[in-house]
Amino acid sequence: MILGPTDVKGDVSRSVDVVVIGSGAGGGPIAKELAGEGHSVVVLEEGGHFTREDFNLDPADSYMKMYRDAGQTITLGVPFILLPMGKTVGGTTTVNSGTALRMQRPVLKKWQLTHGLTEIGEDELNLIYGHLEEYLFVKRADPEVAGKVATTFLSGAEKLGLSCGWLPRNAKECEGFGACAFGCPSGSKQSVDVSFIPDAVKAGADIYTRCRAEELRVSSGRAAGVRGRFLDPATGRPNGKRIEIEARVTVLAAGAVFTPYLLLRQGLANSSGQVGNNLQIHPATQTVALFDEPLGPPKGIPQCCYVDEFKGEGIMLEGGTVPPEIHALALPFAGRRNARLMASYPNMGIFGGMVSESDSHGRVLDLRRPGNRPAMLYNLRGRDVEKARAATVLMAEIWFAAGAKRVFTPFAGHYEITGPRDLRRLERSRVRAGDILGMSAYHPLGTCRMGSDPKWSVVKHTCESWDLEDLYICDGSVLPSSPGVNPQLTIMAMAMRCAGFIDERLSA
Amino acid sequence: MRLLSGRHLRELMEAYVGEPEGLPPIDLEGQSAFIEEYFAAGAPELKMLFAVCGIALRALSIFLKGKPFSRLTSHEKDELLNRVMSSRNPLLRGVAVLPGLPLLMSYYRRPEVAVPLGFDAKALKEESNLRVVTRDRSLPPKAGQGGEVGK
Ligand SMILES: Cc1cc2nc3c(=O)[nH]c(=O)nc-3n(C[C@H](O)[C@H](O)[C@H](O)COP(=O)(O)OP(=O)(O)OC[C@H]3O[C@@H](n4cnc5c(N)ncnc54)[C@H](O)[C@@H]3O)c2cc1C
Repeated sequence: MILGPTDVKGDVSRSVDVVVIGSGAGGGPIAKELAGEGHSVVVLEEGGHFTREDFNLDPADSYMKMYRDAGQTITLGVPFILLPMGKTVGGTTTVNSGTALRMQRPVLKKWQLTHGLTEIGEDELNLIYGHLEEYLFVKRADPEVAGKVATTFLSGAEKLGLSCGWLPRNAKECEGFGACAFGCPSGSKQSVDVSFIPDAVKAGADIYTRCRAEELRVSSGRAAGVRGRFLDPATGRPNGKRIEIEARVTVLAAGAVFTPYLLLRQGLANSSGQVGNNLQIHPATQTVALFDEPLGPPKGIPQCCYVDEFKGEGIMLEGGTVPPEIHALALPFAGRRNARLMASYPNMGIFGGMVSESDSHGRVLDLRRPGNRPAMLYNLRGRDVEKARAATVLMAEIWFAAGAKRVFTPFAGHYEITGPRDLRRLERSRVRAGDILGMSAYHPLGTCRMGSDPKWSVVKHTCESWDLEDLYICDGSVLPSSPGVNPQLTIMAMAMRCAGFIDERLSA
Repeated sequence: MRLLSGRHLRELMEAYVGEPEGLPPIDLEGQSAFIEEYFAAGAPELKMLFAVCGIALRALSIFLKGKPFSRLTSHEKDELLNRVMSSRNPLLRGVAVLPGLPLLMSYYRRPEVAVPLGFDAKALKEESNLRVVTRDRSLPPKAGQGGEVGK
């Protein structure tokens, strides 16, 4: 059952086989797999439960309901990077763009060679990916419904002879309502809230929503469950009801920011000193292009195509369209200049360039800010600034090849690019992280990394903590490095693997 | 709690939104209510920073333009905001960028603004209600198209 704070009469105290903290890309698959194997499973999810009926294509409304801090989470460092995270049943998958890519082979090799993860075999992983792709109806975006922004951008890339194509997505019969990041209004996107969680519930799992895990129970050197509190839906503050779950296995899947935060607060599972370190986020820059003619109706798939010509250099371009209230923020101008451009909203397209392999690492710190908020430190290093610039230049070249008249970038001194001369100027000028007006990032990873050496890693290849028996960590935090692409499918694959090891443990 | 006086908020709204042609004027009350709600749901620091940036912009107005923000013409306000926004100093730039987040959002999210621009969330929602997909049922064909309802 899915139970909210009003369904719960008093304090809750239960004893189960498995308690899972977080219901996103890591937690959802684990809950489904283990409940399916007949284990008793309880999931604690801090966010509320929303369904298709609630998804009204209103960005601000969905930020306030389904994103942590209404989508205002920002890293501390230079430049400012907006790092939005979902807080709802299904985790960030409920509000993600649905790109479903397998990790790149060289990255797996790196994990095996550098992190000693030889037990994670390519064949095993491919088998899991195959299963996930079938379960989540993964297929390439349909050009018919992709929308004109995407087809225009791809036509530019093709003119330049760049490697590009349509992204695989976990969407069933998507008709391009253009609102993946605000909750899919047609139910097409196969996020965890409409796939793994309902199946986990069918198999007997109970999901407590608006229920924040606050403390892991530790008994005789092993993890023994969790204590938490229910939250008032209106204020987000504790409503007085408590929950205590005693469990044979505890799974921490609160995401790459909140998983380390919980551990740091209790000083647990950190003999390596690596908890909270190695934060990777795939920082992204964006370009807005202005055309003479309209780019069609706002329908389309917001993120449906890619240019991966330079993926070996750690640059991936992915993107599409956004509603006006988001579009206005992407323009590097205020006042009349912003207004004049917004009047041409139908003639504009937007595209993002992600630094998919970066040298920069941040940290999650337990700074005890009010209201359960960790701090995320992240500075963009020199080579990554270069990559962000290269991605921006490349996007601008593509837009111009597709017929754009002007392109807007977030680099101070180069906000408006009108042609090749401006582009060369941007290419040649010295740029620093501080020159970037703002960036965004959507993939926090690596803060409880997996590895073969307990001195350098937080969990084993099975996702079990090196330090605390019966504690498994399984979400974006365990990936030892960026998978080189959008990470949800890889997080899910690790979760499927992890569920297998937990099942073995429980059945032994 | 009110962040800034109504007058100051109006000035900022007008300056940031910049009288877009063919679109309705700002709606101080409605937009302020949204901004309050948006801040209440978000990180407490952002609300504080918003107020700090508002005050900093007033100071910058005196420093860079030689007169208070309220006395600047709309053209001068425009110049000031874009000049600060183009600064290579990220902190200074932040002073102009951050207020834009709730101010522009509060304006462009209004249906009477978004619909003329071509984004009609309500119509899209209604259309999506007719095209509901579930895991065990395929979409019915669109009106006018043949075919069977899939299983
Ligand atoms: C706008 C956007 C678009 C994206 N697009 C894509 C895409 O197209 N493809 C892709 O691969 N990836 C995408 N991502 C990223 C992807 O969705 C995430 O990488 C993935 O969901 C992370 O999985 P996770 O399990 O680590 O965390 P999450 O999915 O975030 O789940 C963690 C859950 O834990 C809950 N939680 C946290 N703390 C507690 C606590 N103390 N108690 C109880 N519950 C708690 C949170 O509320 C959350 O629901 C996108 C992200 C964003 C923001």
